[in-house]
Amino acid sequence: MKKVWKFLSSMKFAIILLVVLAAACSLGSFIQQGKSYEYYASEYGEQVGALIIALDLDDAFHSWWFVVINGFLCFNLTFCNLIRLPELIERTKSAAEIPDFSTVSGETDDPEGAMKRLGMPAPRALSDGRLISSKNRAGLWGAWVCHLGILLLIIGFGLGQSYKQEFAAYGVAGQTREIGDTGYELTIDDFQVLLREDDTVEQYIAEITVSDPRSGESESAAISVNNPADLFGMRFYQNSTGWAARVNITKDGAPLQSEVLCAGEYIPVADKPELVIYFSSFYPDATMSGGRPATASGKLNNPAYLYQVYYMGEILGMNILYGDEPLTIDEYEVRFTEPQSYTLIAIKRDPFTPLALLGGLVVTLGLFLAFYLQPKRVWAVKNGESWTLYGECRKGGVLFTEEFLKAIKGDKTDAAS
Amino acid sequence: MLQAENFLFTAAMLCYFAAMIVYFVFVAVKNDKISIVAVAIQCAGFVLHTAALVCRGIGAGRLPLTNQYEFATSFAWGLCLVSLIFIFRFRFRILGAFAAPVIFLIIGYAAMQSKDVKELMPALQSGWLGFHVSTAIIAYGAFGVSFVLSIIFLLRDKMRAQGFLDSHIPNKEKLDMISYRSAALGILFLTFTIVTGAIWAERAWGSYWSWDPKETWSLVTWITYAVYLHLRIRRGWQGRSAAIFAVVGFICVMFTYIGVNTFLPGLHSYK
Repeated sequence: MKKVWKFLSSMKFAIILLVVLAAACSLGSFIQQGKSYEYYASEYGEQVGALIIALDLDDAFHSWWFVVINGFLCFNLTFCNLIRLPELIERTKSAAEIPDFSTVSGETDDPEGAMKRLGMPAPRALSDGRLISSKNRAGLWGAWVCHLGILLLIIGFGLGQSYKQEFAAYGVAGQTREIGDTGYELTIDDFQVLLREDDTVEQYIAEITVSDPRSGESESAAISVNNPADLFGMRFYQNSTGWAARVNITKDGAPLQSEVLCAGEYIPVADKPELVIYFSSFYPDATMSGGRPATASGKLNNPAYLYQVYYMGEILGMNILYGDEPLTIDEYEVRFTEPQSYTLIAIKRDPFTPLALLGGLVVTLGLFLAFYLQPKRVWAVKNGESWTLYGECRKGGVLFTEEFLKAIKGDKTDAAS
Repeated sequence: MLQAENFLFTAAMLCYFAAMIVYFVFVAVKNDKISIVAVAIQCAGFVLHTAALVCRGIGAGRLPLTNQYEFATSFAWGLCLVSLIFIFRFRFRILGAFAAPVIFLIIGYAAMQSKDVKELMPALQSGWLGFHVSTAIIAYGAFGVSFVLSIIFLLRDKMRAQGFLDSHIPNKEKLDMISYRSAALGILFLTFTIVTGAIWAERAWGSYWSWDPKETWSLVTWITYAVYLHLRIRRGWQGRSAAIFAVVGFICVMFTYIGVNTFLPGLHSYK
C-alpha cells in the first residue's frame, strides 16, 4: 500500500499522467466532437464509429476518463506539494546555513569582490568567521507555486463546468425575453451593426435592460464584441447576429397577425395552425450565384426572403419573395417587411472563473520564480592567507560553474563538478 | 508605407539567406572571421525585418499580428531575436548556422502568404491581441532555439572527430543547459500566451476555454515542454532523452502553428 501511495504522488506518475493527458487532448482535437454515430460511421467505418461512441471520444473533454486523468493529476500535484512543503520551509529558513555540499569551489584572495562579480549581495559574516551571501530564495518555491496554480486552474475549471449557468437570448430591438429559469427578463432596447465603407463589420452594439419583475428593479448597459456587461450577477456577451423580418398575414384582405421572425423560425397561421410559414433565409442584396440565391453585400439594396410553406407537416412549396412581394395561399396573403438585424446575446454565470484565472496567474508566477529567480548561495571559508569560495545553484548547472570560475578568474580554481 | 514594408521584408529575407550561406561557408572553411560576417549579416537582416514590421504596423494602423502572413513574419523575427540573444549571451556563433535555415524557412513560408491588409473583425479588436500574439512570438522563437540546440546536442557525438566544430560547439552539458534555458523562456511565454488568450476569449466569446483546436494544441505543447522540464531532473533521462523531447516539443509548436490552421479549423483558423 505504501508503495502504491508513493507511486501515485511521484514525479514518475506525474510524467505518465502528462503524457496520457497530451495524448487524450490530441485525440480529442483530431476526432470531430459532438457528432452522431452516423457521422463517425460514415467517416471512419461502423466499427470505429461504434468504438468512438463507446469510449466517449465524441465528447472526449467531458468524458469520465478525461475527468479521471485530471483527478489523478490533482491528487498527484496535491501530495507532491504536501510532501515537499516541510523540506521547502526548512530550506527557506536555513538560508544562512552552509550546506554540506557545493556545486563549485575555488580559491580567492578577494571573496567579497568575487561575490560582487557574481551579482551576489554583500556577504554576512558568521560567528565562526565565514562569509555567506544568498539571493533569490523565493525561487525555491517556483515549482511548488506552479503546481499550486495548476491545481487551482483544474479545480476552478472543473467546478465551473459543473456549476456554471449558460443561457442565450435573441431578438430585435424592442423585444423582451426571459433569461432561462432565472426569473429575470432581458429587453433589447437597441441593436446596431456598424459597417465600414468596404461593407465589413466594424462592431455589433446592443443596448440592453435586464429587469427583475419580482422586485421591479432593472439595470441597463451597452454591450459589444469584447465588451460584455455584468448585470444582476450575470455576464452578458454580444455573441452573434442574423436577419429578422416582420411577417404580416392577412385573410381575405383583413389583417390576421403580424410578428417579427428571425431567419430559421416559423409561424403557424393563427386561425389555421396546420398551415405553417417557415422563414428560411434572408438576402439583403439578393443575387443568384451558381443557381443559388446569395447576397452581394450586407446592405439592403435588394432584400429577398427565402420561405417554405408547410401544411400538416408536409412541405407545400418554397420560393423567394423580393421586397414586399406577397405570397398568396388560398384566402391568405403573406408579406415579409421591415428586414432588420437581430442580436444573439449569450448570458453566463460562472462564479469559478476568477479561481481559474487566479490559477493561470499563479502558474505564470511559479514559472517565473522557477526560471528567473534561481536560488544562489556563495560562501567563503578562511584558509590561511587565502579564502576558499563555495557556490551553490542547483538549477544553474555548468553555466553557473562557468560564471563562478569567471568571477574568481586569475585565482587558483578547483571546480568541484 | 506598405510598399516600403514590401521592400524591407524582401531585403530582410535576402539577408537571412545570405547569412545562412555565410554560416555554411564558416563551417566549411573553418575561419572565425567569416562567422563574424555571418552574425553581422543576420543582425542586418534583423534590423531590416524590424523596420518592415514597423512599416506594416504603421501602414495597417494596428499591430501586425492578425493573419497568417503577419504571424509567420513575426515568428521568424522572434526566432531571429532569441537566436541572436543566445549567440551573444553565450558567445555561440555556430548556433546561427543551425538557426538561420529555420528562420529562412519560416520567413519563406510568410512570403507565400497573402500580404493583403484587411480591417479587423470585431472579435480581433481587443487590447489583449497584442499581449497574446507577441508573447506567442517570443515563446515560439525560444522553442525554435531550443529545438536547434537539441539538434546540435543530438549531432554532437558525430562531430567529435572534427577539432574545429569541437572547439566551437559547447560540450553536451552546456548545450543541454542552454537548451533548457531557451525552453524555459518558451514555456514561460507560452503560459503568458495561454493565459492572455483565455482572458481575451472570455471577454469575446464568454468562454475562457472551449477546447478549440488551437487552444488544445497549445495545451499539448505546454504539456510536452512540462514533461521535458520534469525529465531533465530525473536520473537517466537527462541529455539525449530530454533533447529528443525538446525536438518533439517543437514539432508540436509547428503543428499548433501551421497544422491546426490547415487540418483542424476552429476559432483561430484565419479563413
